[in-house]
Amino acid sequence: MNLLLAGLNHKTAPLPLRERLAVLDPGKTLHRLRSEGFSEGVLIATCNRFELYALAPKNSGRGAEDLAGFLEREAGSPIGSAAYRMENGDAVRHLFEVASGLDSLVVGETDILGQVKDSYALAKEAGMTGKVSNVLFQRSIFVGKRVRTETAISVGPTSVASVAVDLASRIFGNLSDCAVLILGAGSMAQTLARTLRSRSAKEIAVANRNGERGRELASECAGKAVPWEEFPKALAIADIVIASTSSPTPIVDSETVGRAMKSRMGRSLFLIDIAMPRNVDEGVHGLDHVYLYRMEDLETIVAESLKNREGELQRASRIVHEKASEFSRWLDSVMEGREISLTHSEHGEIS
Amino acid sequence: MELILAKAAFAFYAAAMALAFLYLFYKNDAWSLWMLRLMGVGVLLQSASFGFRLHSFWLIPENRYFLPINSFFGALAYLSLAVAAVFYFVEGRHRLGILGAFVLPWPVIGLGSALIWADPKTSGLVPALQSYWINIHPMVLMTSYAAFGNAFGVGLALLVQEHQIKSRKPSELCYRLPSIEELDDLNYHIIAAAWPVLTVGIIMGGVWAYNAWGRFWGWDPKETWALITALIYAGYLHMRYVGRLRGKKAIYVSMVGFASVVFTFLGVNFLSGLHAYLSGGA
Repeated sequence: MNLLLAGLNHKTAPLPLRERLAVLDPGKTLHRLRSEGFSEGVLIATCNRFELYALAPKNSGRGAEDLAGFLEREAGSPIGSAAYRMENGDAVRHLFEVASGLDSLVVGETDILGQVKDSYALAKEAGMTGKVSNVLFQRSIFVGKRVRTETAISVGPTSVASVAVDLASRIFGNLSDCAVLILGAGSMAQTLARTLRSRSAKEIAVANRNGERGRELASECAGKAVPWEEFPKALAIADIVIASTSSPTPIVDSETVGRAMKSRMGRSLFLIDIAMPRNVDEGVHGLDHVYLYRMEDLETIVAESLKNREGELQRASRIVHEKASEFSRWLDSVMEGREISLTHSEHGEIS
Repeated sequence: MELILAKAAFAFYAAAMALAFLYLFYKNDAWSLWMLRLMGVGVLLQSASFGFRLHSFWLIPENRYFLPINSFFGALAYLSLAVAAVFYFVEGRHRLGILGAFVLPWPVIGLGSALIWADPKTSGLVPALQSYWINIHPMVLMTSYAAFGNAFGVGLALLVQEHQIKSRKPSELCYRLPSIEELDDLNYHIIAAAWPVLTVGIIMGGVWAYNAWGRFWGWDPKETWALITALIYAGYLHMRYVGRLRGKKAIYVSMVGFASVVFTFLGVNFLSGLHAYLSGGA
């Protein structure tokens, strides 16, 4: 038996090719894989990657190149160097890296672990898994979890929206008590509003110079529209303010906020200015209980957290390598008919 | 034996405090768990030490069944035990982890200074103190002091968190501390619970004074400062509840309140006549 891998990802393949593969029905692809004589197979298909793991009998003479040929026929166009081909130990290590988020666009992201689980479940349902792929995929999920608990690879925000939400929760705690006010109707404001809504923010109000557009955004994120002239009053009620108008001069000054703060009785106010040029006067940040974050502040925090994740790559790869070579030894032992056992302890040789 | 156990308890508190400080800067839940375990052992050891003290205290016949807090050592030791026990209880239930660094210095300083500067020997109670009130009045007051000490730690954490967010460059610490509004509420709730205890404790003192000396209130420095403490915290509660004033300014007022607690407990011993029963001080 040989473990084979042919696949491509956001680093190796252009978007059109990935899109062509993304529309394929995974169940049918696995079915065709079986009819080509591969005994076990799992397909990981996400928007950033398309990877086929398959087992071929040793005497069949099939290698990763043959699996890549299959991939090419599935894509309906030549894939050439856009795809990587790996066998046995290399394929194992690659899968463990994928499950751990080391191969992801955002290092350490956690969605991929769920996607690996789902891919495995789908293959199992299709009857395409056997002893080797069962242990391999369960193992990859175990390694993916372990890398995330033992290193800080998944720690810290990775997007401006998640930084904003994190900070809001460090100011207010539970966001379900927080009212959100959006000034303007830019697309970034929309994203932020949706993120806050998904974290159960109490209510969302939108004030926009163009009332029509404001009402549209309000209905999109299940909020209410506020007449533009009334936004200073709305400041007294809102806890989180997102400013994203196209105004060439600041529209929120410290006097307006100072007046609103009087009726807030010391409850904090969190302002997020994502407009360029800025909407909120810097003096506002100097007021008590007022926290003004500008786009570049949020971006700096994201960059910092990504840098920290990168810094954990080495430690994470060490765990992956260790576990991959252990699995390879197991794979060899199974193929030679004298199976050894895998360690499952959380505190093994790497701690 | 009492001192050996107290020293051991001190060592455990100090180690727990060190872990709490480490936990501030490095995310490792094992440290916070060990901090809690060490605190648990420390509380047990100090309780045992207190048991030995009780035993030797009761060897003096007139002391029988009164609590040994007529000396500086006894009072400080009881106070640190109360803070540690309150913290152990709160932390065990809420598992905030992070607050250890702000609260644990108090039992460490309290027990540490008792061991270093105070005289641990027990003595007979003077007749005026041979009253069941000695088991109630100081205990009630010191329990409220322990709660105020915890509230002070929470207030400190709030100032740190406020500074973190104002700086626009929040560190790891920011994501580990509870939110500003939660800390503000916690500070308020602890003080709101401790203030009536303090007030009742002061009134009990008045009743005892009336029984013992025939007068309710005598403007003795201890009495005066206890009253000032109660008034400062009343001011804080008024600001919070009626004026709905929150955040930094309210926290500063509550911290002044705690300074007054510390002064009432320590400083007044050098001024007070009637409350100078605390023997063997610094």
